[in-house]
Amino acid sequence: MQTEMNLGSDDRQTVLVCCGTGCTANGGREVFNAFETSLQDHPEIQVLPVVKATGCNGWCEKGPLVRLLPRDITYCSVAPADVDEIINKTLLDGVLVKRLLYRDPVSKEHLTSHHLTDFYRKQHKIALRNIGEIDPGQIDDYVQRGGYQALQKALLGMKGQEVIDTIKASGLRGRGGGGFPTGQKWQACRNASGNTKYIICNGDEGDPGAFMDRSIMEGDPHTVIEGMILGAYAVGASHGYIYVRDEYDLAVQYLRKAVDDARQRGYLGNNILNTGFVFDIDLIRGGGAFVCGEETALIASIEGRVGEPHDKYIFPTEKGLWGKPTVINNVETWANVPVIVLHGPASFAAIGTANSKGTKVFSLVGKVVNTGLVEVPMGTTLREIIYEIGGGVLKKRSFKAVQTGGPSGGCIPAELLDLPIDFDSLTEAGSMMGSGGLIVMDDRTCMVEVARYYVNFLAGESCGKCTPCREGIRALLEILTRISEGQGSIGDLDLLEDISFTMQQASLCALGRTAPNPVLSTLRYFREEYLEHIEQHRCPAGVCRALSIFYIDPEVCNGCGVCARHCAVNAIQGEKKQAHVIDESICIHCGECYRQCAFDAIKLR
Amino acid sequence: MKITVNGQEREAHAGESILDLCRREGIPIPTFCYHQAFGGQGACRMCMVEIKEDGQSRSRLVAACTYPLTKTAEIITESEQIQRIRRTIVMLLARRAGENPLLEELSRAYGAAHLPAITVEPANCILCGLCIHACAEMGRSAIWSMFRGVDKRIATPYDEASDDCMGCAACARVCPTQAIKVEEEDAVRKIWNKTFALVSCSRCGKYYATREELEYLSKHGDFGQQQLCETCRKKNLAYNIKTFQQ
Ligand SMILES: Cc1cc2nc3c(=O)[nH]c(=O)nc-3n(C[C@H](O)[C@H](O)[C@H](O)COP(=O)(O)O)c2cc1C
Ligand code: SF4
Ligand code: SF4
Ligand code: SF4
Ligand code: SF4
Ligand code: FES
Ligand code: FES
Repeated sequence: MQTEMNLGSDDRQTVLVCCGTGCTANGGREVFNAFETSLQDHPEIQVLPVVKATGCNGWCEKGPLVRLLPRDITYCSVAPADVDEIINKTLLDGVLVKRLLYRDPVSKEHLTSHHLTDFYRKQHKIALRNIGEIDPGQIDDYVQRGGYQALQKALLGMKGQEVIDTIKASGLRGRGGGGFPTGQKWQACRNASGNTKYIICNGDEGDPGAFMDRSIMEGDPHTVIEGMILGAYAVGASHGYIYVRDEYDLAVQYLRKAVDDARQRGYLGNNILNTGFVFDIDLIRGGGAFVCGEETALIASIEGRVGEPHDKYIFPTEKGLWGKPTVINNVETWANVPVIVLHGPASFAAIGTANSKGTKVFSLVGKVVNTGLVEVPMGTTLREIIYEIGGGVLKKRSFKAVQTGGPSGGCIPAELLDLPIDFDSLTEAGSMMGSGGLIVMDDRTCMVEVARYYVNFLAGESCGKCTPCREGIRALLEILTRISEGQGSIGDLDLLEDISFTMQQASLCALGRTAPNPVLSTLRYFREEYLEHIEQHRCPAGVCRALSIFYIDPEVCNGCGVCARHCAVNAIQGEKKQAHVIDESICIHCGECYRQCAFDAIKLR
Repeated sequence: MKITVNGQEREAHAGESILDLCRREGIPIPTFCYHQAFGGQGACRMCMVEIKEDGQSRSRLVAACTYPLTKTAEIITESEQIQRIRRTIVMLLARRAGENPLLEELSRAYGAAHLPAITVEPANCILCGLCIHACAEMGRSAIWSMFRGVDKRIATPYDEASDDCMGCAACARVCPTQAIKVEEEDAVRKIWNKTFALVSCSRCGKYYATREELEYLSKHGDFGQQQLCETCRKKNLAYNIKTFQQ
């Protein structure tokens, strides 16, 4: 599969400045501008390097990133003030600016390219293949990397049904959470009667902390568009909508330009590639709530109705937008389509596990050394992602759990670190693939509080239409809060399970049906922690304030004073290099000292 | 189309809901948010039943009021897990409607545990949504559901007296828990923060409707110009039919 880098067609130097949302927040735009202006001051350079602003490289933590081609050099945390040095040393003299290179924390070596880091080496990019390599505002950049070739191949040489057969053979499953086989979905829509059919791209991405879809829409908008045109051709649709989360201004901006450019080139419109095929795309800005990403709510929202889900006993592929057969797929799903059509299904199906093919993009965050977006083959183990790509748990603390799938997912414990992750293995483990969130948690994470956090999030994000979800979430939240305050009773655990059962079985949409997952998975793997809260009134992670009493062990404390400096209410006293003491009458149990002490001198009673 | 319900064969029309079939056949399924006039909303989830359609290997739980019958199927309307779901739903809704007789009765019938009551607005509202549909059916859409998630509640826009409300009280009549307050004193009716003057029946003298309601109805071509309450109108109709037949 041609997903390797393509280092440009000529030897002309290229400067790729990451201007994804993360790097932009850290001054990436200013770095880009500095390159453009500073290069003007060098009349001696005969062929000026091309400077491009790219989408997110997935390594925002180390941003702003600057990459130099064709030598494949990556500079991290670049400031506008570094630009002259990069031009003078690297571009003109070919010398590396060592201090801007990434230094491997283990080998202590300076690595010239991000491709050499542990974070990138294990990745396999299909959906993210172009991001960081191209200027998302330039259709030519996309075309140069094989863009719109799949479209030509399909429109000029394949029947709609053949495109569907290709997708089926690839084993592609929806990346929006449910993992429904994409080819099967398209087939149902193609078979549905009626001449008017629609295609929708779900770019709502309401998962807290998730940003894979945003980065695709911002960094490679044309792959989404090409995927949708292929889908439209396959099912016989003539109109499509991209539903973008309201906050995603940059994505909207790039998508809008991409749609216009594609239309101008004849990839969209009334006579695509002169074949007579008609298809066009509109952008819709999302309704704001997490639940609007649910497909029936999303359809209602496009139609101008309240964004509430409806029973899906008749699938949207039969009766969707305005009652017409509709295919709705996630951004990342669409991004895979052109690759599958262009290179054939076999190379895609060769990657992954028996029932989950290809790759999945995850946003790796939490208490892990390297954070960011990673795309790995299905079947990669959690250990590989967290320890090899992620570099292990921060501050060398011990790993406790990894939360996958956001509010619909669950917490997976250390025993399952070697689980090869795919749609089915995660569901079996009581979690979900969801949209691909991976939050690493260390031993200072309270599992009752984690469950409470997600349920609390959903309390405001459910639509509130159906009883099990609305009232179930309310009740779960009350019980979890009670437990975290030391007011829980043993019967509460049965009540949590009983209410969860009804939510899973009877809720109208998947939000309510999966909402108990954070609760049930923590109960399943960390039941003793719940019991400790209830029976011993103790929060072993030192998180639940009512249940955490801290003291300093004088044997261990070396009097470094860090805790005292971080205590917001000055409850910690002590002489330099002498054991410190917490005044319990002042302490508000926030646990800040506990988290700050690098010597584990602070203990929980 | 043959549908087996609780082991007995029944005949269903293609596309009708499980609930409609069962209602016609006299098979009881409890509901909160269903009304003949508006169909199923799928909101309360009290009507969950088990269905196994032709070609399926396992039965699944679906809402009877929204599930359209399209092929031969076996349905079970009572089972241990259905009972468990209904009991939990009653338990959860009963906290919204503290002393409401309907929920009290159901809590007893299902043996639902008692959870501490919560304060909701309007008091006793179980968010079945019927009032919204009733008002929309009257052509007014004066009330809606505000906010989402656990904060969801029924209200007029911004909780202000709504221009669209004509005081017909159709919403209050359809409410299963009498949550919508209608205060009537002499010739005045108060509902949804709005006060209406009542019109009396030209025959029996009873106050029976608001002026706004009558104006609206006559504009939309219903009823004659005579101002008659429901009882007198029926009497009048019977009289007319009789004279017409003679
Ligand atoms: C509460 C809720 C939120 C969802 N949010 C999203 C979302 O933000 N993006 C998305 O693609 N799918 C989301 N989904 C899944 C969609 O309903 C739908 O299954 C998906 O868009 C189908 O595309 P796929 O088959 O390509 O995954 C959500 C589902 C639920 C229940
Ligand atoms: S499950 Fe939750 S989000 Fe879905 S319809 Fe019911 S109340 Fe709304
Ligand atoms: S941070 Fe730890 S070692 Fe330092 S003074 Fe506080 S308790 Fe002692
Ligand atoms: S009383 Fe007002 S809110 Fe109620 S149904 Fe009539 S018009 Fe609607
Ligand atoms: S006020 Fe009555 S009819 Fe309206 S939603 Fe509440 S319970 Fe249902
Ligand atoms: S925005 Fe630059 S790496 Fe994410
Ligand atoms: S009656 Fe079917 S969900 Fe309420």
